[in-house]
Amino acid sequence: MKKLLGLSALVLVVFPAAAMAQANPSNTGNVAVNGRVAPVCILGGPNPALVDLGVMIAITGTRAGRIAVLPAQSVSLPASFCNFAGSQVTVTANALLAANAGAPPAGFARAVNYTATAAGWAAGNAATTTAATANGSSASSTGSGPSHPLPKLADIGVTLSSFSVPGDNLLVTGNYSGTVTVTLGPAAVAN
Amino acid sequence: MRKLLLIAAPLALLASPVLAQSSTGNVIVNGAVASRCLFTTNSKTITITELAQTGTGAGAGSLDAATVNGRNETLVGWCNSSASTMTVTATPLTNVASVATGFVNRVDYTATANANSVNATDTSVGALAAGTPANVGLFTGNVLVTLSAASTAAGLLVAGAYAGNVAVTLAPAI
Repeated sequence: MKKLLGLSALVLVVFPAAAMAQANPSNTGNVAVNGRVAPVCILGGPNPALVDLGVMIAITGTRAGRIAVLPAQSVSLPASFCNFAGSQVTVTANALLAANAGAPPAGFARAVNYTATAAGWAAGNAATTTAATANGSSASSTGSGPSHPLPKLADIGVTLSSFSVPGDNLLVTGNYSGTVTVTLGPAAVAN
Repeated sequence: MRKLLLIAAPLALLASPVLAQSSTGNVIVNGAVASRCLFTTNSKTITITELAQTGTGAGAGSLDAATVNGRNETLVGWCNSSASTMTVTATPLTNVASVATGFVNRVDYTATANANSVNATDTSVGALAAGTPANVGLFTGNVLVTLSAASTAAGLLVAGAYAGNVAVTLAPAI
């Protein structure tokens, strides 16, 4: 009886195996296609590229010779993007300094400070306010915004505002110039 | 002279029973070769080092189709049946990274497999499904897989690694 059971089992195993070999004879080859996109941030060209404040002092009145109320200035960086998560905007502003590098007399200044704010990227803005002294030293300052958690495509708006002079001194005559540098890149990693 | 003839007759009678006993047996030998296809080189990889347009021009960050189109690799296989078919299934290049407004993480393309001077194609656009089978017949040799018509939805490509696949299936007539 044991032998009979053994034979039956063998027959049952052999026939299905032969049937499977006939039923599925197709064969598949695979070509894996792998690609990569590098992380990159690109800022749109600033519009306008030059901000001209014109004459910055009051000509008449009690504030004659001192800084006038200057309206805020706006610059757009259209279609700026980062294609990865975790990017941030950093703004570095340099105070407007008189072209004449000589030390100003007492009561005068050769620097105009302002606040530069970059908006439209992360949940918070990137902002900084320059704090140059009357003679133009310490003209540079930097501020960063928070990290943005996703890739982003947006217009970044930069606003220059709150123009002021150290000590509200009289401004020396001449041409003044400053710069605002906007950097879009990976968020700084905390140590 | 007559006596001699009489002797010869019994000799003829003796030879006759030997001829009557000859016989032919036949063993019929039958064989079969199952219809079959097999890839002898069944795996290759196409690597695209940068899918997006570089630089700072108007298209920067979007797909550079030229990096995909024309890329090819060669598998090797055979089919032993004249009714064999070849089918291609193209899976898009995708990136697991999250997307945001203005971005995409999928690159579609068309894959063409050529064997025995017969093309079978499939596009990765839409749902994942095999292309139309092509009758590739009886052949042995290269199966050239070529990519073309790369595209994305409107948007910039998210950074990171992208992976796709072209499956070529050879099937004999059953």
